[in-house]
Amino acid sequence: MSIPTDLAAVSPSTSDRARRQPEAHRRTRRKLVAIAGGPNCGKSTLFNRLTGLRQKVANYPGVTVEKKAGFCPLASGRTVEVLDLPGTYSLRPGSPDEVVVRDVLLGVQSDTPLPDLTLLVLDATCLERQLYLCMQLIEIGRPVVVALNMMDTADEEGLHVDAPLLERTFGAPVIPISAKTGSGLRELREAMEQDVAPPRPVTRTLAAPLLQAAQKVAGMLPSTGPLATLNRFHVAMALLLDEGEDDSLMRAVPPAIRREVLALRALLNAEIPEWRSHEPIGHYRSIEDLIRRATLRVKPETSVRERIDRVLTHRVFGPLIFIAFMAVIFQSLFMWAQPLMNAIDFGVSALGRFIGPWLPAGPIRSLVVDGAIAGVGAVVTFVPQIAFLFLFISLMEDSGYLARAAFIMDRLMRGVGLSGRAFIPLLSSFACAIPGIMATRTIDNRRDRLTTILIAPFMSCSARLPVYALLIGAFIPNRTVLGILNLPGLVLFCLYVLGILAAVVVAWALKRTALRGARPLYVMELPPYRVPSWRSVLVTVRDRAGLFVQKAGTVILAVSIVLWFLASYPKNAEVKPLEKELQKVEQSADQAQAQGQRAEAAASRAQAVHLENEIAGVSLRDSFAGRAGRLIEPAIAPLGFDWKIGIALLSSFAAREVMVSTMATVYNLGDADQTSVSLREKLRHAEDPRTGEKAYSPLMAVSLMVFFVLACQCMSTVAVVRRETNSWGWPIFMVVMMNALAWIASFAVFQGGRMLGLG
Amino acid sequence: MTPRRSTCPKTKKLAELKAGARAVVRHVSGEPELLRRLLELGFVPGTPITLVRRAPMGDPIELRLRGTHFSIRTSEADRIDVDPY
Repeated sequence: MSIPTDLAAVSPSTSDRARRQPEAHRRTRRKLVAIAGGPNCGKSTLFNRLTGLRQKVANYPGVTVEKKAGFCPLASGRTVEVLDLPGTYSLRPGSPDEVVVRDVLLGVQSDTPLPDLTLLVLDATCLERQLYLCMQLIEIGRPVVVALNMMDTADEEGLHVDAPLLERTFGAPVIPISAKTGSGLRELREAMEQDVAPPRPVTRTLAAPLLQAAQKVAGMLPSTGPLATLNRFHVAMALLLDEGEDDSLMRAVPPAIRREVLALRALLNAEIPEWRSHEPIGHYRSIEDLIRRATLRVKPETSVRERIDRVLTHRVFGPLIFIAFMAVIFQSLFMWAQPLMNAIDFGVSALGRFIGPWLPAGPIRSLVVDGAIAGVGAVVTFVPQIAFLFLFISLMEDSGYLARAAFIMDRLMRGVGLSGRAFIPLLSSFACAIPGIMATRTIDNRRDRLTTILIAPFMSCSARLPVYALLIGAFIPNRTVLGILNLPGLVLFCLYVLGILAAVVVAWALKRTALRGARPLYVMELPPYRVPSWRSVLVTVRDRAGLFVQKAGTVILAVSIVLWFLASYPKNAEVKPLEKELQKVEQSADQAQAQGQRAEAAASRAQAVHLENEIAGVSLRDSFAGRAGRLIEPAIAPLGFDWKIGIALLSSFAAREVMVSTMATVYNLGDADQTSVSLREKLRHAEDPRTGEKAYSPLMAVSLMVFFVLACQCMSTVAVVRRETNSWGWPIFMVVMMNALAWIASFAVFQGGRMLGLG
Repeated sequence: MTPRRSTCPKTKKLAELKAGARAVVRHVSGEPELLRRLLELGFVPGTPITLVRRAPMGDPIELRLRGTHFSIRTSEADRIDVDPY
């Protein structure tokens, strides 16, 4: 039924064709080296070693897959460009990441030229599973250098790997290295400098009909164009076997071949229904043989891993240790990041105070200080939380614990159709959705990742707390319910629960509608434990923080300036006389000060503050933002909100906690915070000018808090979702979905409450 | 070389193994895409496999095959028939 085939015989001219590569093309640009390898093979550590700090991160066009590139200096003084491909088990793609890997290595990725050399990283300590990718890669017929990583660990564990034998088998240089210690890197760089001949595919067996089909397609392939320098047989097999959602490879060949491939697939389906299994089964036969010849275990396997796992995944201790870890992360995001955030806050306002006097008073000063510098501040305050979260995540990931955490949490998260990987991003979102959303990149399934991104902002973040505190303090009576519970505390707890419930419902709905799809295979490797390399951890932290500032930061800064403009213009006519009066009062205060009349100076100063607050209030009320607040009043009146709250809702788009200071400005209180008694009093006693009744009731406060739980009012979240999904569609969907949900829920609370006679 | 589902009474579903039990993969079934992924990860007929442990909530399970440890949900492990030994 099957016949042995020498693949070299199938496509005799592979090496010739590769050597015929246009030399002129090579000379005009830097040599491009792509680093490929499985997950957890140490690929990124090697990439960091080779490129040092000369890296840049972008997205591949149209997908969320990250493109990491850098430059690696060689001994000769030449520099090569290095591309860190996403980790993959196979070249037959099952995810957008893997589509990119295949497309780059076959030269059909639109923004990336065909790599001149592929650097394949293999973890010597678990070679067998990784040789699968190696077999496929070798078969492409392009120059390959194999970096046999973690050779130091393999030696310690008593595992011998016969590198020369592998080298003879593949016909490609095999270089033992340790990316962590840096040993072998000199030899690796030397190999990168040479012109490496294309490797020799390893013999494998295939059933006759499949072999004939592949040969037929191979014979039809054009001898020019992007695929011409590759092994025809491999391209033919890829065309036959890659039936995923993506068709970038099919689009790269002429329509006649496309039709032939579809016809051959139908034929194979009829003849041997399991023909797709033949490639992996064939490869593993060769791999088993190779492993028997090339590896030797001279010491029995140690049980270090088993001993650690026995504790970390223990039925009782496992979850307890996990909870302890999460508590530390949570603590770091809430508490340890706070001093740094305060310091940034202080630094930014100090910068504003320092620069302010150098600029002419008026619109320009206001633009720079209240618009630009405040906007930069809004961006930079997120950096400590992002840095802390990614410090922990990369420590957990590099040590191997993250996979165990997902193993423990998987059953729980499956309830909402997600996997264990979604837990940490969602938990982090209680501190702030920005680092939480960025942390979703550890979720490999695209649909799961999008679902997690879209529900993360429902977790009540720390920016909502000041709003809750203000409204609870002003409207929720401090009394005991059910004997032991404190009512304000209970309300706060319910707000957190409401956010979680909303997330569960939305995740459930998304997984059944927009993000429905084939059930992915939740198979995850549990890698051996390793001591993380500080270098790698710190590079990750720096990359994440840097990317946020660059990519999301620009959007946040732009929106901050727009919001500043909307809140400052047009200038109100009433403001002019008030400003004149303010000048007079300030002068008299200065005079009084100069004459030593302290009491009078203090009185004048107090009056000046009062006037400043009034000016701020008048300006805001009559600005575009104020008018917009009035404009949306009919839309929010059914929720119990008046136009003043409308202004606060609009301005809270800069950041939710801005709502508090906006309310203070609207009520001429200057910069009050959520604990300010005067602001609470003002809210409690505010009157509706039309009816003379109290403007706000406890019911309205509950409605408003429900709105804050559910609404997407954070431009930074929108900006970071835009960056992480590489599209405007998802963030727009999120804003519409969340705000619609918030409106409906607040409407139900307020109108339902009124019907029950509350408020 | 096409593996056939056996009627051998010894054959079990992978998820039915006890923690620590060893077996050999006999047959993998499922939609083409999932089947391909499992095969590529090395769940090829004839491969020795160990069920290392179950997660604290009973699911997923940790497997060892070809020197690598995997976490796999029991619903997916049900696609894999094994012969215990």
